[in-house]
Amino acid sequence: MTRETNLARLQETPRWIAWCVGVYLAVDLFVLHVCSANPQVFSIPGSSDSSSALSVTAMAAVNLYLSMLALRSFRAGEPLRLAWMMMTLAAAAQVVSGVLAEMLGPNWLLNALLPSGHPQSGLVGQLRFTAQIAGAEIRLGLLAAALIPVLRVLRRFGFWVRPSATDWAVFSIACIFALCRLAEGGGRIGAANLQSLAGLALLCILVLEAMLLRQSVVRMGSGPISRCWAAFMCGIFLTGLAELGIWVIPHYSNAFSPAVIGSLTQFPTAAVFSLAPAYQLIAQRRATKPANGPREDLVTGTPALAR
Amino acid sequence: MHPSIATLVAFCDGEAGTDRSRRIAKHLVKCEDCLEQVRRIRSEKSELSGAGSGMPAVDTRQGLAGLLSDIDRWQRDPASAGALQLRRSLRSQIETYFGSSALSLVELPSMPAEELLGRASEMLDVFLGQTAAEAVKDEVFAGLGHARSEEWR
Repeated sequence: MTRETNLARLQETPRWIAWCVGVYLAVDLFVLHVCSANPQVFSIPGSSDSSSALSVTAMAAVNLYLSMLALRSFRAGEPLRLAWMMMTLAAAAQVVSGVLAEMLGPNWLLNALLPSGHPQSGLVGQLRFTAQIAGAEIRLGLLAAALIPVLRVLRRFGFWVRPSATDWAVFSIACIFALCRLAEGGGRIGAANLQSLAGLALLCILVLEAMLLRQSVVRMGSGPISRCWAAFMCGIFLTGLAELGIWVIPHYSNAFSPAVIGSLTQFPTAAVFSLAPAYQLIAQRRATKPANGPREDLVTGTPALAR
Repeated sequence: MHPSIATLVAFCDGEAGTDRSRRIAKHLVKCEDCLEQVRRIRSEKSELSGAGSGMPAVDTRQGLAGLLSDIDRWQRDPASAGALQLRRSLRSQIETYFGSSALSLVELPSMPAEELLGRASEMLDVFLGQTAAEAVKDEVFAGLGHARSEEWR
């Protein structure tokens, strides 16, 4: 497959991602319906371990691929290269985490070939813990860091505005949620609590950044570049809402376990994050190949000689 | 994994480095697609060098002088047809890539066309990356009847 064909297909990527989310949600809801209608035959897992879900990892891999393509079109020293590099690393962290969680999980097919007790051994436990950190805290940290140069650039071009009362209100809700989660932990200082504290703090920062991004996107309009950052913003909000839902809903309803909420939210969130590099690539594709223009070459680095 | 076009061009120019050239050469033995790309690059290269000897050379200085004189004219007469066309073309590009609301932030009232060009150009460089931004600027200049040359970049 040539890169030219790849780029032609990239134009259709957002539509494909939307289809995937639609199909996934339809199948997931159908399965949940069947499971809840026949609880004696099918059981819904009670704990949330959906980081190992293959579908989420696959979507993260799509995000990684698209982010790498977007990253390649920024030369060294360009202001947004660092942002795209960190977003690529964040996607890579999610993929690595998903793959490790899957391979080291109790459901991995090859476990049968390994010595008994392997999935529960100390080293495997540590690896699983590392994978969990890579997919959550490290990823969130990278995303938060990636948004700093983006917001700086948006401010430079006059898209950035001071946070409004709504922004502070949403940020406050995120902070209250984080404090409630921590208080629920009992105030003990352990590795798990520290990990949770870091994750929640990063989530609060990300929510604030997303609110600022939202204002900038609203001021931009609806071109592919603004859609790219809007997708990023939506991804962050969905991450926050999923966390909130996983914590709040089981308090009030037994119908939805954390696993169910996780399965319903994690894939769409990963898909929305994938839309960001997809729209960035569409913008670049449009730039290098005008709608009615002559046949041209590539999105990145085509020397004048090859044109 | 296929080498990029830029890598293949570097390979054809003998600028890919020994190790990479060796890897590409090995790959070309197996990959018909890439071999075809190399043939195409070589044929384009020879066409261009042939054009240089057989056809009148493009006078980039003349082209640059034309653009500079146009900019001078736009500065003296902001309502000239060229300035208006440049403004229209830049507006359209900003709307295409960023959205219509972005235009009101980028284009300040009574902003000269050449300033709008500078601002739009900077934005496109930052958000699209230089390569894609160059292509957009090429399109804008082509609409004005100027083919940009390497010298202007």
